[in-house]
Amino acid sequence: MSDRGKSGWKRFAEWVNGDSVARDPTTQYVMNRRPVRAHAPQEFHEERERLRLKKFLGLYPLAASFLCLTLITILFVTVLCIPPFGQPGNPTNNEVSRHYLEYTEQETGATNAVTGMILSYRGFDTLGESCVLFLAVSSVMMLLQRDRNNTDQRTLHRLRREDAIERTHPDNILRKSAKLLSPFILLFALYVLFNGETSPGGGFSGGAILGGGLILYSAAYGPEQLSRLLSRSLYDGVRIMGLMAYALTYGIFIFAGANGITVEMEWMMTVIDLAVGLVVACTIYGFYTMFQRGKL
Amino acid sequence: MTVLENILLVGLVICAAAAPLCKRLLATVIVYLAFSVILAVLWSILQSPDLAITEAAVGTGISGILFFLTLKKIHALKGTRDE
Repeated sequence: MSDRGKSGWKRFAEWVNGDSVARDPTTQYVMNRRPVRAHAPQEFHEERERLRLKKFLGLYPLAASFLCLTLITILFVTVLCIPPFGQPGNPTNNEVSRHYLEYTEQETGATNAVTGMILSYRGFDTLGESCVLFLAVSSVMMLLQRDRNNTDQRTLHRLRREDAIERTHPDNILRKSAKLLSPFILLFALYVLFNGETSPGGGFSGGAILGGGLILYSAAYGPEQLSRLLSRSLYDGVRIMGLMAYALTYGIFIFAGANGITVEMEWMMTVIDLAVGLVVACTIYGFYTMFQRGKL
Repeated sequence: MTVLENILLVGLVICAAAAPLCKRLLATVIVYLAFSVILAVLWSILQSPDLAITEAAVGTGISGILFFLTLKKIHALKGTRDE
């Protein structure tokens, strides 16, 4: 009962970090107890394991092929039942899609019907997806980020050695081509991001290209260069501000639409596009850098 | 256009069948990336350029990078074996 005096937040932080001590002696005893050693002879275990493996290996190909064939049959039957592509009498050509195509520009301010649909008609969908990406990168950071508690000398040594190898033997093809390509990729990403209302593209694709460009930049100029540019606090700020800007703008959009207030839509679509793009780019870059080095 | 479409569709099926049959993990990933490229071209033929851009960026770029990083971490790439 040593942590009775601590505040709830502190105990929660300890629980998240995984170094909390058990509250009651029973749990502590179970945690400390060693696993019971089996007394059966080694051969018995090996024989049983071999039989199990044999049974599994005999059954596995049969079950796998059966499942595959069933899935392929279902998919082929479904494809055969789909009406031919682009016919006027298809069930998808109903009043919903006609409404979208006719009124997207005046209702959402986007010339590109796909962007209008994704970002405003189905904005809650996209908001949920952005939240999923945000939570995914947050959990990856929680699991993979290196700090004092989960890094030993061996890992540090290995990372230092890898960095030294990288410095002494640079991959010239990758480095030169990445230096050549990354500005154009970043420029194209901004074009796709901001031009999403009028041409194909928009938040998701632009953000994905932006994230890819950041990864290429990091490969070209070294990770330290990019982490000096995009520090941890800036990264977190961009990520959180992107999600909040989206929620706020979409809230204004819904509020104005429900109460019949006319607002300027053009800038709203641009803001939503930019917010989604930043969240997606941060997610992709965060995944890369967490998997690669364990820190930003 | 139909000829090109048919060629791409056949390539798609070949890539999909070849990906799990490859012996080396690196070859599997590359065949999978080829699948994504063919799919991106097919999306643009089917008049959905938005989807084509996203497929090209995510399917070939991002997932490729993540796959290669994983292969590097599990030392399945040549020259990254840790003694």
